[in-house]
Formats: sequence, structure tokens, C-alpha cells
Amino acid sequence: MGLTGIQIFKLLPKTNCKECGSPTCLAFAMALAGGKAELDKCPYVSDEAKATLSEASAPPIRGVVIGTGDKAKKVGEELVFYRHEKTFLNPTAIACLVTDAMDDAEVDAKIDNLNNVQFERVGLTLEADLLAVRCVSGDAGKFEALVKKALGATEKGLIIMADDFAALEAGAKAASGKGALLYAATADNCDQVAALAKETGASVVAKGASIEEVADFTGKIVSGGVKDIVIDAGARDIKSMFYNDNQIRRAALKAKNRDLGFPTIDLVCDMTDDPYKEAMLASLAIAKYGAIVVMSDIDKERMLPLFVQRLNIYTDPQRPMVMDEGIYEINKPGPDSPVIITTNFALTYFIVAAEIEASRVPTWLLIMDVEGMSVLTAWSAGKFVADAMAPFVVKSGIRDKINHNKIIIPGYVAQISGEFQEELGSDWEVVIGTREASDIPAFLKAL
Amino acid sequence: MAFSALTEKYSGKMGTLTFGSGDQAITVGGQAAMPFCTFDGEIPNKPIVAMEVYDVVDPEWPAAVVDPFKDVINDPIAWAKKNIDEYGAKAICLQLASTDPNGENKSADYAAELVSKMIEAISVPLVVWGSGNVEKDAEVLSKICEVNEGKNLLIGPAVEENYKKIAAACLGYGHNVVSQSPIDVNMAKQMNILISNLGLPMDKIIMEPSTGALGYGVEYSYSVMERISLAALAQNDEKMQCPITNDLGKECWKAREVKLTEEEEPAFGPDLEKRGVLWEAITGFDMLLAGSNLLIMRNPKAVKLVEECIDELLA
Amino acid sequence: MSKLIITAAIRGAHAIVDRVEGKVNAAIQEYGADKEVNLPNTAYYLPVIYGITGYKVEKLGDMPGVIEKCRQLLPELPAENAWLPYLGPGLDAGMATAFAFELEESLLYLDPDKCPYLPSKEDPEDTDPDIWLGAADDIILRKRGVEFVDGSAPGFAAVVGAAKDVETAIKIAKELQEKSIYVFMASSNPNGVSFAEQLHEGGVQVGWNTRLVPFGKPTSAAIHALGFATRAALTFGGKTPGDFKEVLKYSKDRVFAFVLALDEVDDEKYAAAAGCINWGYPTIADTDIPEILPTGICTYEHVVSNIPQEEIVSKAIEVRGLKITIAKIDIPMSYGPAFEGERIKKDAMFVELGGPKSVGFEFAYSKPLDQVEDGKFTVVGPNIKDIEAGALLPIGIWIELAGRKLQEDFEPILERQCHHLLNGAEGVLHIGQRDIVWMRVSKKAVEAGFTLEHFGTILHAKLHNEFGAIVDKVQVTIFTDEEKVKEHLEVARKTWVERDNRLSDMNDETTETYYSCSLCQSFAPTHVCVVTPERPGLCGAYNWLDCRASHEINEHGPNQPIAKGDVVDERLGKWKGVDEFVAPASGNAFESFSAYSILVDPMTSCGCFEAIAACLFAANGVMVVDRDYAGETPCGMAFSTLAGSVGGGLQTPGFVGISKFYIGSKKFISAEGGIKRLCWMPKALKEQLKDMITARGEEEGVPNLYDMIATEENGTDEETVMAFLMEVGHPCLEMQQLMEMM
Ligand code: SF4
Ligand code: SF4
Repeated sequence: MGLTGIQIFKLLPKTNCKECGSPTCLAFAMALAGGKAELDKCPYVSDEAKATLSEASAPPIRGVVIGTGDKAKKVGEELVFYRHEKTFLNPTAIACLVTDAMDDAEVDAKIDNLNNVQFERVGLTLEADLLAVRCVSGDAGKFEALVKKALGATEKGLIIMADDFAALEAGAKAASGKGALLYAATADNCDQVAALAKETGASVVAKGASIEEVADFTGKIVSGGVKDIVIDAGARDIKSMFYNDNQIRRAALKAKNRDLGFPTIDLVCDMTDDPYKEAMLASLAIAKYGAIVVMSDIDKERMLPLFVQRLNIYTDPQRPMVMDEGIYEINKPGPDSPVIITTNFALTYFIVAAEIEASRVPTWLLIMDVEGMSVLTAWSAGKFVADAMAPFVVKSGIRDKINHNKIIIPGYVAQISGEFQEELGSDWEVVIGTREASDIPAFLKAL
Repeated sequence: MAFSALTEKYSGKMGTLTFGSGDQAITVGGQAAMPFCTFDGEIPNKPIVAMEVYDVVDPEWPAAVVDPFKDVINDPIAWAKKNIDEYGAKAICLQLASTDPNGENKSADYAAELVSKMIEAISVPLVVWGSGNVEKDAEVLSKICEVNEGKNLLIGPAVEENYKKIAAACLGYGHNVVSQSPIDVNMAKQMNILISNLGLPMDKIIMEPSTGALGYGVEYSYSVMERISLAALAQNDEKMQCPITNDLGKECWKAREVKLTEEEEPAFGPDLEKRGVLWEAITGFDMLLAGSNLLIMRNPKAVKLVEECIDELLA
Repeated sequence: MSKLIITAAIRGAHAIVDRVEGKVNAAIQEYGADKEVNLPNTAYYLPVIYGITGYKVEKLGDMPGVIEKCRQLLPELPAENAWLPYLGPGLDAGMATAFAFELEESLLYLDPDKCPYLPSKEDPEDTDPDIWLGAADDIILRKRGVEFVDGSAPGFAAVVGAAKDVETAIKIAKELQEKSIYVFMASSNPNGVSFAEQLHEGGVQVGWNTRLVPFGKPTSAAIHALGFATRAALTFGGKTPGDFKEVLKYSKDRVFAFVLALDEVDDEKYAAAAGCINWGYPTIADTDIPEILPTGICTYEHVVSNIPQEEIVSKAIEVRGLKITIAKIDIPMSYGPAFEGERIKKDAMFVELGGPKSVGFEFAYSKPLDQVEDGKFTVVGPNIKDIEAGALLPIGIWIELAGRKLQEDFEPILERQCHHLLNGAEGVLHIGQRDIVWMRVSKKAVEAGFTLEHFGTILHAKLHNEFGAIVDKVQVTIFTDEEKVKEHLEVARKTWVERDNRLSDMNDETTETYYSCSLCQSFAPTHVCVVTPERPGLCGAYNWLDCRASHEINEHGPNQPIAKGDVVDERLGKWKGVDEFVAPASGNAFESFSAYSILVDPMTSCGCFEAIAACLFAANGVMVVDRDYAGETPCGMAFSTLAGSVGGGLQTPGFVGISKFYIGSKKFISAEGGIKRLCWMPKALKEQLKDMITARGEEEGVPNLYDMIATEENGTDEETVMAFLMEVGHPCLEMQQLMEMM
């Protein structure tokens, strides 16, 4: 893979002029190596160095941005096969399909779902990303109207899908400048579609019946001036979808096959009519290398598990998800409800909150920012310790919400109880809670 | 640059484990490739889903999980039969929740007898799962081993604090053990070593690396399992070559995303069944994709979805 | 083997084989060669013969074949003057005895009406005519054998002969019972008194359920103990009958057993004892018989004699190397992690021990096994009953340890445990270590019955349970007499100085084994620390001694020994063995590690490093920044940014995560010139490490190095720092260009 920070550093001017925004060339080199900066930021790199660096730093899988503005969505640029090696970078884009065979109400309902079905979690908004607009009527005018309607109805990026070139052209032109993804260029019409994409500022799906077929003409699209390509290698069942996504990633990462160095699109909406099955297929795409997955609807009940799966699979395995520090109310607590304190490691929060919720005992949950460490880790790192916790408890303002003085600490840090008690002073009483979250309901009920 | 398929050849291979007896016995594991990568190496045994039954049911269980078993929910044996006859269960997992000292605290003798009756009543292989209480499990599970000598059950979970009693009983009375470790590759390996040091052969051990449901640590289990699988295959690490199981039903169905009604959380939507089924099915599928050989699941619809995926991917 | 014993054993064996041959022939005459023989309910035929030879004795007619084997095994009696330097003949005689005994015992079952045993019974009942149970059937074997596998029964004692009186018998039995050891009883003394009958007479319930198992009165009945052990090897060890090497090895390694020979040992018992040595079971006798001390087949000594009956159990445990665990800590208060953090306020306190107003210390050291009395707790000076509430006493906790695998190097590690172990008791507060110990005991604890000996009880139980792998014996003395405290503190202080010097006297060159630590792989999958005497783990929590001790305690844990092997590159700190270890341990992510270089294959950094060293190429030096410093640094990255780019188990040339202590090591980035490169560090860290830096500077010929190292006060960008370095004439400016060293 890429160069190390020091190798990059050697190619930089080493003048520490700071114009790149980094305080030193070394810091800039480290940021480049970590993919956190762009080479263009340094005005003084020699052309020769530039060539060496961009060759080495070009991602083996092209990053493709669909849409514009806030809702633009990037896919691709993945560097690994397993998430423990390095974070999966750009979460699978989930698209909703509408066609020009649907009546207005259906289209409206789907777009409404796409726009509005969202969940808050760990301070993030989980939502679907793209609208796939498909021509099934063969009527370019009708399709163009639908694309226009879509553009007005959502800010999310569009996938413009038509087999018939005239329809595709009408749709693409309607969405010109919106960073749409055109579906699809085939071996037969790829020059034509590439030209259309270039003209309308779109990216292109290269579609074929097999990986071999697609690999044959992506190069032509690139020569046609369009580098932003997404691959559909024709899978219409789970097994070939798994095979294609897997093999295309291998070709890109292992064989450095530039013809296949692109993200993939999985049309799971065409693989089944069963909404449950469709969700299973989408979950496969999320875990195993699908970059875009097109679904028939964005309904709450299916999206909740899929979005959470996507969030989980694409989190940085070295940097835990965190919760905001503060007071969380569970089961509508009142002045005499118990107070539990724990850390802001999201997993800790979710598990503890779920158990409290299950107990149905109204409870105040105090979440303390310890950089997302679990209770024991934070304790041993000196972050979840008495002299840090006491000021937090005081500052949190929880005392104004309750009429008692008990605060429950996790059983795993029982050893800090005395010191915590001393730090808090005599107007608090520290109570040792359970070690395992699963024992919380029994504990709370027995209070 | 034309495309030519790339395949991975591994020096190692996952071991197998067989539980149950007679022609109903099931073998899991033995794969020489990462999950479903049949193009890389042989995957001789399909992953299996064992459907769980409880000897006591938490009254808080959501309707979506109770409904399919409403008529049998208070009779684990009838429940097991229904799972087999109606829902096509290939294996049963008896969850001995009633033995939990913080709950009904039923005795080891009770549990052992229930297991005997279960074995009598069903023909598919049986997994027996303790309440998770370390001391009580040691007592209950070893008693079950003794009373049901030679039945080749799969018994667990054995953890660092109680593995000796449970694994020794499995060794003495001819059963297989679930070696559970706290989401850590090295701990998983250490548990395998400790258990095999007692004399239990590796083909009688299955690993449970601790299972997190979607939103509750699924990614940790997922990565640990991928690492275990790679250690077993690519590094040919013999001490990592035990098949993997995931006890996921209970983890999924206690998630708030599954339990809360639309009134309580409007964003989640009205169809609790759909949410719950998919929560379990997708968690299960993720576990399979990370290397699981045996899933322990609850809802029949979720089981069916997962089994369909297995069948089609391995077709 | 002592010639006396061997001669007696061989003599005994001859007599036994002759006798049994006669019995076998008589039985064949009486019942015919086709008469079936077996022990009750077993699938293993005559298990000792079957297990060792694979030969199945199914009918009387099969027996002469076994006698034939015995004859082949039986050695000639050694000539009066000949010296026999090895065990061989004695062992063979013992094996022949075992076979013969087993035949003899099986003959007892031929006629059920005449059988002296209660077959397939777990316990004799009052209505039974006799107490003898005979051989265990397979059901009992499984049920009890599982306890041997899971460790709830640590082993068995085969007791032959009889105690000097009923009380002593009961005492010995109780002592073994308390340790959960099974007692298998057979044979009697020359007066026909047997240990089992003594217990029975004393009203002690015998049988499998009390773990006091009366096999039979003849010495031959002792064979059922070996039958039990042999079947365990076949059932639980999966060993093949006839694979005698494996069967015997399993018995020795897995079934912790020993023979207690009480009262006179005759030829027959010598022969039997020789038999047991084959299985790895030593004999401990109370009479003055010749000893066989050199270690060979048994874990330790083979025959130990002349041990008073009062001490025979603890001696036996020691000899067999048996590990004891203590299920319950016998103190009047609760014990558990929940009490670790408990504070005891002045008004709740009964007594204060040590602390700022008095003297308090704790000290653990190792002694030879025979000089430590396990479980002995003494208080020297006033105890709880002698003082009033609110009193202040000096305290010295003096812990004497012994263990076959205990090394001096583990002493400090065990001593450090006192804090954690004593704090677990409800109503006990412990702060500090070494000579700054400060303790309090609550009134509640005293009301519950606490006395100072209980400190001993706690330490004894916990050290056995948690460090059983290295600790065999724990004796504790609590000093509260001021004079005594001071006197012993002096001794302790001397040892502490020696200990502190011990690791600093070690060096990498003369140490062949390094240790790995892979604890951090849980979050940094490719990370391994290679810990050498001169390079501690980068978290600062594990030095070489810690890793070694942790490996002894948990051999499958995260600390594994690495035989460093041939030197690949002395300057960089590369060894063949280390590289061979690192590749698989890092999941093949890395092929090579340099212990001493920051530029060439530096070690991986996980995330818990105390500090990060980073190259400053313009200055041609190296900076170090620690976790506690949040500001900017001359490399352009603050600690958190640095940690983000070098952590996660990566090798990042130019950067390396380190422990603070490593900065003072001679091997601190020695490949790049060592501490002379150190040109910037946060002020607080610099002050903290002042002595270390000054000392190392002097060694390197730069006595004022400390003053030449810039801090944030001198600048946080490379240019200002450079200016400072030039001004003070920092040695790094003159050294080889770092850039060229890659
Ligand atoms: S702009 Fe270029 S030369 Fe200036 S500091 Fe950044 S990397 Fe160095
Ligand atoms: S940093 Fe410390 S705990 Fe982590 S691997 Fe190194 S020595 Fe072990």
C-alpha cells in the first residue's frame, strides 16, 4: 500500500512554511500518509515528487461522489478486506427506487420515506442516501418528468436508470450538474454514455453480464473523460452478488487492476420481491463490499437494523463510538429516582440503557466523557476515577433534579467508592452497583 | 487489464465438531475458506441454526417473539417439538434460564431431568445452555453431563471461571463443550488451550467469542471472529481451529430497538415483528459472514431467512 | 535407588508372584480355565494389566500368561556387594507386583458368596458386615474421575498400614479431607490394625462420599488405587491400552497421588511402593526406612522416610508438588472486590496501623521449603484484645514464602499484591507499600471478631489461590512490637535495595530469553511488545521481570518467552528468534522488529504508550512527549495527533511509543545514538526524569545534557528549538544525519 510518513516527508521541501495548514512538513507528511490531507495543499512540492506521490497515493478503488451539496455521498476508496485491518471508509450508500410506472402517490410516499426516515444514534443522523429513478415506460418524456420531480422532491443524489439511451439522455440532461450517477453504460454504448456523463457532470455505472465483460470497457469510459465509474457486473442473485463484490475488490486491491478499481452497485430490488429477503441482501452488501445498494423502499422497520449494521461495520475499530456527556433520562425519572453513573463508551451506554429500560425503573443515567473508554479501561487509564468524577457529578446539575443523595457506580470500579465518597463529600452517598449490566434490572428493582 | 479470478489458498483449515447421535448427528466446521468463499476452498459443512427454547420465559418478552410459540411457551419440550415439526429446526438449544440464582433458581437435578426428557422427546441434536451464572452453571451443567452420559450433547457456556468443572464433565461423560471468551482473540485461544489441557480433544470444543447484537457490539464480535478465522486458516494456528458458535437470540431480543413500541419511540415504526425479525436475522447473518458455524436463534421467521441465505450462498 | 530398598522390593515381588501363581493354579483347578474373571462393572478387564500391556484377562485361563509376564519382569536379587545405580530392576519388580496383586484381588470375586468386598457400593452401611469396598466400578470411576480432571479433587493418598492410634488416624484423614484429597485405604500393620478400621472405630464415616475409601485389608487391595489411576488415563486421557509410556505419564502428570506408608514397611510393601513409583507416585513413610531422593520418575523425591505422623500430610503434599486452593477465606468479615475501595473514617476506626504517625511496612521473601510452615500466622506484640478503640500501633507484615517454582525475582511482585489482597476484606483499609504502609481496621470488623492473625489468613488464602503456580507455602508474622518492627524493617530495607539493583544490573546482551506481551492485541490486533531487561513494555506497566513472573503464573497468557537466538544486527537490536516470533504473533503484519531503533523497523505502538518519541529531522534529534502534556510540540503534532497516527499496532518509522522508564535505559534508541539525541521534552516530564537523564548524560560524556534539552519554555516549533539547541551546543547537532540512517 501507500508510503509511510517518513517516505513522504523525504519528498517534501522540509521548510516548515506552514502554508499547507500543518505546522511542519513532517506533520503534513503524516497527515498525507493517514489519508487526512491532500497533496495539493502544499504549493512547493516538486513535479517529480508530485508524480511519485500521486501514483502511490491514488486509491486502488476510486472514490465516487454522487449528488451535490450537503447530501452528496461518497462511495469507494476502500483499502482493505477486513475491518480490523483498517477502518472501512465510506459506508455503503442505500438508495431507494422509484420508477415511471409508479403512480404519483407511490412515488411521493417513497421519496417521503427517503427524506424522512432517519434515526439519531451516537450523535449521528442515520439515513438513506440516494434516489434511484428508473425508466420502465421507455418514454423519454415521461421519464424526464419523473427526474425533474425527483430533483424537486429531494436533495439527495440521483441514480438515473434507463436502458434506452434517449431516455437516459433526457434524464441526465434534466439532472445536469447535480452529480448524478447514470445507469448504465454497456459494452455497446459506453462511448455515448461517457460523453453524456461528461457533458452533464455525472458519473457512470458500467454494466455487464459478468466481471470480465465490465473489465473490458471501463478503460474506454475513462478515455472518454469520465473517471467516476461504478460497476454492476450483472449479479441478480445472492451468490453471484457475493462473488462479484468479493472478486472486484480483490482485483482492485490485490491485482491492482485499474479496470476494476471502482466501487460496485448491487440492485437488490431486482433480486427479490420479498421485503425481508431484500433486507438480507442489503445487509450482505453492507458487510461484504457493496458500495451502493438499491432497495425498493426506505421503511423504518427495515432501515433501523440496516442503518445500525452499517454504522457498526463502518466504525473505526480503534476509535470507539462515543456518547455526549450529560444526563440521560430513562423511563421518565423523577426526584426520587436512582442515579447511575457510567462512561460515554457508546456500547456501555447502549447496554446499560437497554437494561435500565427493561427494568422499567425510572432512572437518571449520568454519562461521563472519558474519551469513549469502557468502565474498566477508563478507570485504569485514570479517567474514570474519583477526582475526575466528582467535579463532573457536581457540574452535571443532577443534584437539582433529585431529592435524595445516592449515586450508583459500576461494580467494576468498586475500589474507587471510598475515594469517590470523600471527593463528593458527605452530602452524597456512593452505592456500589452491579458488575454486569445484565444484573441491573434485579439491582434496580431491589433498591 | 483483463479480469482473472483471484483465489486464496490457506495453509490451515477449521476443525470440525459433531454433536448429537445416530444419523441425526450434525457436524459443523471443517471449512478451508473464509465464510461462503467456496471459490477459495472447500466448505464441507453448512452452518447450522439451532432454535432455542426456554424453560422459563421472561414476562417482558415482546409479542413478536412470543407469538410464534404462544401455545407452547410454558412447555419447553412441546416448544422444541413445534420448532422441529412446524419450523423445521435442525437442532434445538435448551436455554436453562430457570436455573439462574437471581431468578427461579431451579436445581441442577431439575435441569438434568429436563434435559433427559428433552433428549427422549426429540430426535435432532441438542445444545444445552446454562443461565450464565458462573457458579451455578458449573453445578448444573456438570450434573447434566453426568445424568445424560454418552448423549454427545453440546454444553455451555464454559468460561474462564468455571471451565474446569464443565469441560471435565464433558470429557468424563462424552459431551462437547462451548468455550466462551470475552470478545478477545487471545482470550479465545487461551480458553481453547486451557480446555484442551484438561484432556478434551479440540474436536469437542466450539468457541463462543461473546456475541453482540446489532447496535450492541456486533462489530466487536464480527472482527474477533474474522481474526479467529484468519488465524485458523492463514496462520494455521491449531489452537484457533475450533468451530465458532454464537448465542445471539437472547442478545437480539432484549435490544430496545426491538422492544419499544411506536408510541414509545415513533421513529422506529409500527411493525415490531418486522423490526425484531430483521434485528435477529441480520445479526445472525453478520455472524455467519464473520465465520460462525452454529447460530442459536429464536424467531422462526428470522431462522428461515438466515437458512435461506446459507442455502443459496452455498448452493 | 537405595540398594536396601531395591533388595527388599525384589525379594517381596518374588514372594508375591510365587504366592499368586499358586493361587491362580488352585483356582484353575477348582473352577476350570474357562471360568470368567472380572472386577465389578468395568469395561477395562483387569485395568492395570490391560492398561499397561493391552492384555485382556477375561477368564482364569488368561492368568498364567500374566504370571509369565511377571516372571519376565522379575529381576534377580542383587548380589550382596553389587551396586545398582539405577531404578530399573526395582521398577520392574514393582510392575510385576502390581500385576500379581491385581490377579490376586480379582480371584476374590470368583465366588460372590465368599467375596470380602461390597461390590459397586459407594459407602458401607451399618448393616453391612464389613467396611471394605474393593475395586471401584466404572460409574464411580467416571463420577470421581471427573473431580480429578476439573481439579476439585487435587489428588489421592493411598494409605497403607495404620496410624499410631485412632486419634492420629482421624487427624490425618481430616487433614487430607480438608484439602479435598481422596484417601484410598488398604493393608494393615503387622498387628493386623488398619487405617480404615481405625477411622471406622473412631466413628468416622468412610466411603466414596466422604472421600475416605476403604479398598481392602490385604496389601494387594492397594492395587485398586493404581487401577483407578490407570482407568483415568484410559477414560479421560484417551490413552490406548498397552501404550504404557503414555498411560504412566498421564498418571504422573494428571493424577496427583502419593503413598503414605504408616508403621512398619515389610518386603511386600516395598514391592508395592516400587510399583507406585512406576505411576509417578512417591512414598512417604513415618518409619526410618532408606530414602530415595534423587528426582527421576516421580515429580520430586521417590521415597521419603522418617516423617512424624503429625507432619506426614504436609510433607506428602510438598513432595508430590500438589497445589492447594482455599475455597473460603476464614475471616469473620466479608471479602470481595466490592470492599476494595472502602474508606474507614476516624470515628469508625478501631485501630490505625503504621502510617505517617508510626511505622508500617510489609515484606515478602522466599525461603527453602522446609523452613516455612504453611498456614502459620503469628502476632508479635499487642493484638486487638490488648488495645482500646482508637489506638495506634506500628506494624510489620512479614511474609515468608516457599515454592518449588518460586524465584527471588518474584518476591517484589508478590509483595506488591498485599495492597490489593488486604483491601478486599470488609473493614480493612490498606494504603501504600514497602515502608509506607498505612492501615486501618474498622470497629465493625473488630466486633465481628477480627484479630491481627487474620491478615495472615487473607494473605495465605489469596496467595495460594491466585499465585498457586509459584507459591506452595505461606507463613505470616505480624509485628506490632515497636522494637521488633524496626529491627525487621532494617532487614527488609537491605533487601529492597538489592532488589532495585537487580534489574538494573541485567542487560540485554547476557539475557537469552526475552518476553512478549500481547495484551494490547485486543484493540491493536497486530501489536506485540518485545520486552527485554533494558526495554520495558511501552505502557510502562510490564518490565522483563513482570513478564517472566506473569508467564510462570499463567503459561498460556499474553506473556510468552522468546528465545532471542542469533544476533542479526547488534546496533539495531535485531535477533533471529525475535523476528521469528514477531511475524506470526503480529498476524504476519510485520517481519522484523528492532529493539533499539526509531528509524528502521521500530517496534509497533499499540495505544497505551506512556510517551512517544519522534524524530526532529531539522534538529537532527529526537523529541519525547508524554500523555500528560497536551500542548504543541516541535514536530508539529500534539500528543493526541501523534498517538492517532502512530498507534493502532503500526510500525511508523521516525516515531515510536515508549515507556518513560526506557528513556533512562542505555538502549534508548541506541541505534540512532541514544540519549544524546534527546533534544526536546515537556518540562514536567523532564523534571520527573531529572536524575535518570543526568546520570545517563554523564555516562555518555555529556554531564550537562539535562540543561541542553529544550522544553516548551524554550519553544514548540522546530526553528526556535533549533536556535536553542545551537545556543547550548546540543550534541545531536553534531551527530550523523538522521535522514541518512534510514
Ligand atoms: S506547505 Fe509544503 S513546504 Fe510548507 S510546511 Fe506544508 S508541506 Fe512543508
Ligand atoms: S503496552 Fe503494555 S500491556 Fe500493552 S502489549 Fe505492551 S507491555 Fe503489554
